[in-house]
Amino acid sequence: MSRDRVEKNKEHSLKGTLASVLILGGFITLTWLGVYLLFINR
Amino acid sequence: MHIHRLEKVWLVIGVVLLIVFLGVLGIGAFAMGMQPPTGGHTIDPEKVSETYPFNNPGLEQIDDNEYNAYMIAYAFGFTPAKMEIPLGAKVHFQVTSPDVVHGFQITGTTVNLMAIPGEVNHYTYTFDKPGEYLVLCNEYCGAGHEFMATTIIVK
Repeated sequence: MSRDRVEKNKEHSLKGTLASVLILGGFITLTWLGVYLLFINR
Repeated sequence: MHIHRLEKVWLVIGVVLLIVFLGVLGIGAFAMGMQPPTGGHTIDPEKVSETYPFNNPGLEQIDDNEYNAYMIAYAFGFTPAKMEIPLGAKVHFQVTSPDVVHGFQITGTTVNLMAIPGEVNHYTYTFDKPGEYLVLCNEYCGAGHEFMATTIIVK
């Protein structure tokens, strides 16, 4: 019983979440930079 | 409150990105004076052709290589129909419409306004590259929308 409780409180691995957040963040940053550079160069 | 270590990583990245994006916007708006094209300059849309300066649309020199360009976007064309701008000129565009909402986009530049009946929209652009610039209406305005275009020649 007490052992189950300890298991539940253990942290989940968030590596996959971090990867997907970084991929999405990278996409947003790259597209933002692309539009910004287009604006600056015109 | 307990926050997962990796969660802290992406929260920091997200906050930094927000600061950069809003910082660029804020510097443009408050330090460099960039403003939206619409800003309280009104006109009676039924009297556009009688109202100064749109009773005489076109280029008006205001300084050494600095001009005002008064343009009317109507269904389905632009007045003046052709305009020549000297190379390197800084042009303050003022655009309005006597009928419906039109677009005023000079392709390949950052000039991209809406021509709104009752409003005069402003935008400043410096023409550093010579050539023929296509001007298009990019707001669907009626049956002749696709014919609504003109040319600006920079030389």
